[in-house]
Amino acid sequence: MLEIRNLFVAYGKIVAVSKLSLTVNEGEIVTVVGSNGAGKTTTLRTVSGMLKPQSGEISFKGRSIVGLSPEAIVTRGISHSPEGRMVFGRLTITENLKLGAYNRKDAAGVKIDMERMFEMFPVLEQRKSQRAGTLSGGEQQMLAIARSLMSRPTLLLLDEPSLGLAPLLVEQIFDVVVELRNEGATILLVEQNANEALRISDRAYVLETGTVTVEGPSIELINNPQLRAAYLGLD
Amino acid sequence: MTMNYILQQLVNGLALGSIYALLAIGLTMVYGILRLINFAHGDLMMLGAYVSSIFISATVVPILFAVMIPTLLMAVMGLIVERTAYKPLRGAPEVAMLITSLGVSRLIQNSTVLALSPQPRAFSLPGDLTKTMNVGGIRFTQLDVLTFALVIVLMVLLTLYINRSKTGMAMRASSENLQAARLIGINVNWAIGAAFVLGSALAGTAGFLWASRYGIIDPFMGFLPGVKAFVAAVIGGIGSIRGAVVGGVLLGVAEIGFVGFLPPEFSGYRDAFVFTLLLIVLLVRPNGLFGASEVERA
Repeated sequence: MLEIRNLFVAYGKIVAVSKLSLTVNEGEIVTVVGSNGAGKTTTLRTVSGMLKPQSGEISFKGRSIVGLSPEAIVTRGISHSPEGRMVFGRLTITENLKLGAYNRKDAAGVKIDMERMFEMFPVLEQRKSQRAGTLSGGEQQMLAIARSLMSRPTLLLLDEPSLGLAPLLVEQIFDVVVELRNEGATILLVEQNANEALRISDRAYVLETGTVTVEGPSIELINNPQLRAAYLGLD
Repeated sequence: MTMNYILQQLVNGLALGSIYALLAIGLTMVYGILRLINFAHGDLMMLGAYVSSIFISATVVPILFAVMIPTLLMAVMGLIVERTAYKPLRGAPEVAMLITSLGVSRLIQNSTVLALSPQPRAFSLPGDLTKTMNVGGIRFTQLDVLTFALVIVLMVLLTLYINRSKTGMAMRASSENLQAARLIGINVNWAIGAAFVLGSALAGTAGFLWASRYGIIDPFMGFLPGVKAFVAAVIGGIGSIRGAVVGGVLLGVAEIGFVGFLPPEFSGYRDAFVFTLLLIVLLVRPNGLFGASEVERA
C-alpha cells in the first residue's frame, strides 16, 4: 500500500534520513523503532507532505505522492496523528473531530463516524462540548487518534502514541491500535516503547541515524537477543 | 468636574475605542495565525478613508455607500496584499514578514502620495450626521450612535462566523497550531486569506469612522492608529478576538481619559501614554487580559 524507496531528507545541511526504504502492506501494523533522532518522525512527516524529500520515491496505492500538499495527501487516504498529540486545546472535542473530517463532503458519513468515535472512546462523548485542553494526556491521545480517523484514512500514521502516558493508559492506547487493525485499518506506528510496539505489530524496521539497519517480522525482532540488547534496550 | 463631564469623556473614549477595536480584530487574527505584526493594516484604514471620501463628497449617493464600498474594497485589497507580499514568505523567519509589512506600509503610503497628493483633505460628513443631540447633558452626534451600532453589529457577525462556520473553525485551529492544522488537511492558505479578508474589511469600515470623527484625511493617517490598535490587541491578549475588542475599548477610554482629565499641557503626551500603558500591562500580565499562555498554545 505504501512504498518508500531510497528516501533522502535533510534539514538544511543536516541529513535526517538517507537511503531509507520501507513497505507497508494492506491490513498490516508496521512498527518503526529506533532511538531519538534516528529519523522516525522525519519519515512520517515526509510521507504526510509536511517535509519535501531531497530524493527518493514515496508511492501510495501505486501512485507517487511526493510533492503533494498535506491536504492532498489526507484526501488520498493517509492520516497522520502527530507526536505530542497536537489537539486544538482551545476548541471543543466535537470541533476537533469535525476538523478531522475537514476535507470530506459527505456530511451524513461524517456524522456516522463521529458516533463511531464516541462509541470507541466513550470518555470523549461525555466531554464532547468541553475544550480539548481540559482533557488528560491519555484522553488527548485518544482524541488525536479519533481526529485522524475522522478523515476515513486507509493508512494511519501514528507517531509516538504512548509518549508520556502512564502504563495503564499505554495499554489502552495499544488496545485501540489493535482494535483498529482488526477492523481492517493499515497502520504505520512509530514508537520508542519498542517492546509493546513489536508485540502488537506484524513487521518492524529498526532505524539508526536515518537509515534502516534491521527489518523483519516483529516476532523475530523480539526474539533476536543481539537486537534486544543493541537497539531495543531490552534484556 | 461634573458627572456629565465624566460621562461625556466616557462616550468619546468609547467612540475612539470602538475604532481601535475594529482595527485590532484584524491585527489579532493575522498575528494569531502567522505571528505577523502587520504594520500595513493601518494603511488599509487610510485607503478605506480615501475611498469613503469619494462617496461622501458625491451628495447624490446614500451615506451607506461611504461605509460599504471601502469595507468591500479593503477586503479585496487585504487579500491582494496577503497573496503578493506575505504568501511568498511562508516558512521564512517571522522577522522577514515583519520587515515586509513595514515595506508594504510605506508602499501604500507613498503610492497614495504619488497618485493623489501629500496634502491633507477635508472629509466632511453630511450635516445631519454631525448634528449633536443632547441626552441628559451628554452630547452625542448621530455619528457616535452610528459608530456604536456598526461596531456592535460587525462584532456579533464576526463572532458568529468565527465560532460557527467551518472556515471560522479552521481559522481558530490554524491560530492554535498551524502544523496540526496542515496535518489534518486544513488548507491553511484559505484560513490565512479569510483572516486577511475579514480583518481588512473591518479596517475599511474603520477608515470611514476615523475620517468622520476627525474630519481630515492624509496618506500617513493610518500608521499610528494601526500601531495603537496593535497595542490594544496585545493588551487584550494577542490572538484573542474578544481580547482585541476589550483591549481596543479600554485603550480608547484610557487615552481620552488621559487627555480629558489631566491639565491640557499633558495632552501632547497621549501617544507616549498609550505605549506606557502597554508596558505596564505587559509587566503585570504578559499574555494580556484574555491571552492564551504559550503552554496552552503548545
